[in-house]
Amino acid sequence: MNIKSYRLLRWLGNGLVYFILTAFAFVMLFPFAYMLSTSLKIPSDTFRYPPRMLPRDPVSQAVPGYDEPLPLYYVLVNGEKTQFALAQSNLKVGRYAPAENLSQVVERRLTEVRPTGGAMNPQSVTVDGKEQKLFDVTVDGQVIPMILVSQTTVGEFVNPQNPQEKVYQNVRLSEPVENVSAHPENYSDVIALRGLDRALTNTALVTILVVLGQLATSVIGGYAFARLRFAGRDTVFVLYLGTIMIPFVMLIVPLYQLMVFIGWTDRLVSLVMPWIFTAYGTFLMRQHFITFPKEIEEAALIDGASRLQILSKILIPASVPALATQSTFTFLYAWNSFIWPLIVINVGNEENHVLTLALNVLRGRASDTPNLILAGAAIAILPPLVVFILGQHFFVESVASSGVKG
Amino acid sequence: MTHPTQAHTPNAALPLLAAWRGLFAVLAATLAALLWTNQAPADLALWLKIVFSLVLGLAALLSLFAIFHILRRSHTGRSLALGLDYLGFVASFVTVLHLGQVFVGIDSFADTFGRGIPALGVVLLGYLIDAAGERSPFNGTQTTLRQIGRWVALIGFGFFLWQVSALQGILFVASSLANPAGFTALGSAAIFGLALWGMWRNPAAQALNSKNQHEAMLNGWLFLSPNLIGFLIFFAGPLLLSFYFSFTDSDAFNPPNWVGLENYAKILNIRFAGLESATQLARDVVDIKIYDEVGRLTWGSGGILFAAADKFFWLALRNTLTFALFAVPLSVLPALVLANILNSKLPGMKFFRAVYFLPSIAAIVGISLVWQWLYNATIGYINYFITLGIEFWNAAFNAGLVDPKIQWVSDEKTALFAVILIAAWQTVGFNTVLFLAGLQNIPGELYEAATVDGAGAWDKFWRITIPMLAPSTFYVISTTTIQAMQVFEQVFILMNPAEGPNNSTLTLVLYLYRSGFVNFKQGYASAIAWVLFIVIFGLTLLQFQRQRKSSIYEA
Amino acid sequence: MKHNLLWKFASLLVVLSFVFAACGAPATEAPAATEAPAATEAPAEPAPAEEVSLRWRTRPDNQEEIDVYSNISAELDAEMEGITLTYEPGGTEGANYQEQLRAEVAAGTAPDVFWIPGTDVADFATRGLILNAADLAAATDGYSADAFYPGPMAHLTYNPETAASGAESGALWGLPRDVSTFALYLNLDLIAEAGAPDPRELAAKGEWDWDAFLEVAQKTRALGSDIYGYGASAWWGPYGVWLNAAGGGFFNAERTACALNTPESLAGLDFQRALYADYDVATPYGEDPEPPFRAGKVAMFQNGRWATPGVRTVEFNWDVVELPKGPNVTQGNWLFWGAYVINAKTEHPEEAWKLVQALTTAQTQGKVAALGANIPSRQSQEAFDAFLTFTPPANNQAFLNGLADSPATEGPLWAGSWPEYDKIMGPAIQAVLTGSKSVDDFGATICDEADKVFVK
Repeated sequence: MNIKSYRLLRWLGNGLVYFILTAFAFVMLFPFAYMLSTSLKIPSDTFRYPPRMLPRDPVSQAVPGYDEPLPLYYVLVNGEKTQFALAQSNLKVGRYAPAENLSQVVERRLTEVRPTGGAMNPQSVTVDGKEQKLFDVTVDGQVIPMILVSQTTVGEFVNPQNPQEKVYQNVRLSEPVENVSAHPENYSDVIALRGLDRALTNTALVTILVVLGQLATSVIGGYAFARLRFAGRDTVFVLYLGTIMIPFVMLIVPLYQLMVFIGWTDRLVSLVMPWIFTAYGTFLMRQHFITFPKEIEEAALIDGASRLQILSKILIPASVPALATQSTFTFLYAWNSFIWPLIVINVGNEENHVLTLALNVLRGRASDTPNLILAGAAIAILPPLVVFILGQHFFVESVASSGVKG
Repeated sequence: MTHPTQAHTPNAALPLLAAWRGLFAVLAATLAALLWTNQAPADLALWLKIVFSLVLGLAALLSLFAIFHILRRSHTGRSLALGLDYLGFVASFVTVLHLGQVFVGIDSFADTFGRGIPALGVVLLGYLIDAAGERSPFNGTQTTLRQIGRWVALIGFGFFLWQVSALQGILFVASSLANPAGFTALGSAAIFGLALWGMWRNPAAQALNSKNQHEAMLNGWLFLSPNLIGFLIFFAGPLLLSFYFSFTDSDAFNPPNWVGLENYAKILNIRFAGLESATQLARDVVDIKIYDEVGRLTWGSGGILFAAADKFFWLALRNTLTFALFAVPLSVLPALVLANILNSKLPGMKFFRAVYFLPSIAAIVGISLVWQWLYNATIGYINYFITLGIEFWNAAFNAGLVDPKIQWVSDEKTALFAVILIAAWQTVGFNTVLFLAGLQNIPGELYEAATVDGAGAWDKFWRITIPMLAPSTFYVISTTTIQAMQVFEQVFILMNPAEGPNNSTLTLVLYLYRSGFVNFKQGYASAIAWVLFIVIFGLTLLQFQRQRKSSIYEA
Repeated sequence: MKHNLLWKFASLLVVLSFVFAACGAPATEAPAATEAPAATEAPAEPAPAEEVSLRWRTRPDNQEEIDVYSNISAELDAEMEGITLTYEPGGTEGANYQEQLRAEVAAGTAPDVFWIPGTDVADFATRGLILNAADLAAATDGYSADAFYPGPMAHLTYNPETAASGAESGALWGLPRDVSTFALYLNLDLIAEAGAPDPRELAAKGEWDWDAFLEVAQKTRALGSDIYGYGASAWWGPYGVWLNAAGGGFFNAERTACALNTPESLAGLDFQRALYADYDVATPYGEDPEPPFRAGKVAMFQNGRWATPGVRTVEFNWDVVELPKGPNVTQGNWLFWGAYVINAKTEHPEEAWKLVQALTTAQTQGKVAALGANIPSRQSQEAFDAFLTFTPPANNQAFLNGLADSPATEGPLWAGSWPEYDKIMGPAIQAVLTGSKSVDDFGATICDEADKVFVK
């Protein structure tokens, strides 16, 4: 194989690799793009089919002779797509055809036809055993008697520059004139009207308390497991290990009853306390501290430092990556948790709702305005996402390290 | 542990501490007895009375036991005394917080917290200035900057406290405690604290022959205690409670009654029956007063009918296992492929890695709302893309494919699959990163050696990558499976009603939730929880076995 | 180096969560500033001695409804002496309104007075979650059960111990907030464009039956692949109508056994199935038809009066018509209702009972009805006359016709558990309507399963 063809092959291979990666990236990003685009639309735009990514508004224009601006549509005039204004809709139109050739249909407004033979002496014809009235319909200057096959409606479109120039066609199938325009006020609407501001503050507060609290208990607990020798330590550690696999949902019934007993239902504290003391976090910290060289600690002990001093002055500053790993997981868990708040926080007490709960209420109350629902979803999704994008390197490292060690 | 200033005679405090142990025992025993009289401080359920009496009784006994040891100058006495007083102190302290409305006060804190946020920004600014100072290369700027930073942070924090009305909060806590109950709690906290201090001090330690190992033990338990106490109250305790509930008919409204194995018996009560024809009715082959048909397997002239006393549980189990069976490979296999691609040293890989990771950090509730509209049968993007694809295909190959117009979430054939797709979409990036970490730990020499031996890329993948990746694979598969077995949020948000068309998305956790918090059969729900645990445990064990086998094979 | 990176990361994390939370800060600032912060801290802040504070709740489906109930709460608060009211909107139907309430009653955090749908009254009553107000009512001057529709009152006065109901039964679980029936919301533009007959005219002539309905549905459906003739949501109300109109129903007359397998019920179900499968005129079963209707793509949308406020915002011409008459010469309509009930754990039962009465006066009901979401639960000519003026829709009479057509009362199952019955019936009917189960198979097995929820 010569160098040239080898290069070509590699170039092709890389192209394929990038193609696959980009396709996957599209799949991963599309729902987010859809969320953002829909959250900037007006409600009627969200129900459009075929769907479109960019938010659009219908365009209206003032037309002489009409009090209000009229919506613009594209109509065909002499085979050319022209912008006309919709002046009137729901004009009744008949579809007429000669009795001998029912496929030769023409459309005329009901006001444009006269009964054949005059109103005093209307004529009729029998088609398929049914008697049908005949109407005089003008086609290309010729008057032809026809029967009414069916009815429909059209709209009257006028040339905005010259309102006398009129075109009649189906409104529903006409393409409206639109321009691209975003509606960021959906966000302020959903925040103001649905109380998402309070939910956001609550979520932030609960998340901060859980992260700090869990960090504190698992650091000193993990240190005790890793470095202090005492009777019963290994038994307790095995107990902790054994519970790591137990899924949280096992606890929802008894924890709920415990919260009822203490009187913490419907209180934010019920979202904080149960998450502060975790076996998993303690286990992770223990695994981390155990890798730390013992010699440094022993030297400090001989110098008269207390255990607490060693922990705060030596171990914690050296363990920031491990602490951040755990904070990352806890942050996501606390920010995104749903089933527990659903059970323990009153649905009527919106003061204490967290974002996931507020979204659950929002989806019921605003089911006809997907733009607002998705603006709400964006408010819940974007903060962790932005944190991630800015600290992405760190985030990914911490997940990877959890996998290698776990 | 040496405090030369405290040169009291060691023996002076000991009788006092021993006497306190006696008083402690009497008080605990009295309180335990009081629970069973009309003067009980709280109206407790029977089982709670039993638990509390046992705890208090045990404490009284241990306290007496401690007197005996203290008088014998044995260190066991000191350990016991410290343990009991520490627990007493924690209990009193938590009671003080509780009576001072500190816990429920988080609600009010949330009320004012929003106002304090700008102040926290100032604190952060201070820290950043401080950090900048720390890194500054010039000595002079370093000190100045660090000092400025600290002051800014301090002022910001003060501003924060003022904004969230901390003073009013503290005053309110104080006023909530200004009643007999509050004083009792404060007083007992003080007494326990005093007793702790007396026993912890050097003289007492020396008098009771404290040695290094004793100090280490006390230190160990002290460090572990915050976590352990919380863990026992909010995890281990509820876990035991759940086990107890699973043998009762607890309904959250009335005191639970012991029903023995009835809940488990109902869940596991199943029947298989032979069918004489594919369409034979369930009532002809099983007792229809007890059993409902769950499903049937038919062939030519007969079949087998599967019936259960609780058909919803078995439907839920079927759906959950199906979900895991598809969701796990769909989120693991693409991850494996992507990780191998990303592991190449081509430019831009970090960007793609970040993009794939995005879905896994987004709130499932929000994500499900987004997908709900993507899945919409009439105006959704997914059907639109399918339509476009089919039109393109038909035009390009002159084929006559018919647009299926899939009703993703309202057709029982696709509903579960729609949920599977969301779950896979959300986990694949996370798994990719885990695999990537595993790949980066494989020593490059292995590949170099293989290249020397003339192995192709495919060979290297199968002979080196896959075996060396086994620990990561095990971790990825087991965590994904455990997660998949608990699927709830996606279904709850996406489906309306949540159990989906013809129960096709009724999952175990959803059924647990429905039993416990819709029908309020909380005893039954607890039994479901334990069965769910056993299923998850079994699956993990199975994977663990396979993992061990394959690693033995490798060795 | 690592340290600095971490610094940045941690700072970012904190800053961002704060910045995002701060977006919400200004809005909370205003109310918090007006009251002393210590007061917000104090859950037990002593109110003036004689003031009793009560919390109450309904299930609102949109912001307009929340606003109306908030106003009513404020007005009643001013009117009723010695009572301070707080209105809290509950979750919506999709967000587990009733389930959440049960959990809250169990936890002791539920409001004093709350609204529950008629189907759930038996479950709440037999679990002891709501107060029997019979004694309070007996001691009240001017209280009369006759003022309300008899259907709901029969259930609200049902005494599970004696199986009696009526004024003398010794039971009163609450008073009905409102009633509602189904109608068809019409997209007049689509109907005119399809040249189909106007259903309102057919109804006036007495020709509005299943055949005429099918004709309109088919003609409008023919307008395009994205235009549908008929749309209905997937819950018991819409499919129950077809069963009722064919002479069938969910239960036997005594509501003690399943009647889903009677030939009449199956005939009604088969017609609805045909709308989806044989004639292909309906929006996909299980997909919410309201968005496409409001987007102008559904000609006839079956829903209750509660849909009116939302439909009022559409851009096309619309009106309502009563449901078409079925083989049994009835519309098979429902009398939907829900009741204000009193939390069994309330500390102020007498004040709560006063609130229940105040919430169901003709005056209050008139205000709620003016919003358009429902029909007063008191039967009186004035109420009817007032209701007709709450336009649009112009043809409000359609709802009254539905009420006059001896509708089946939405009802709790005193002899069993309605939620469990619903969980068995709903999925099975969905299987039929989406074509994965035949009507015959459904009829052969459904009552074997459904009869288990009745206490024998």
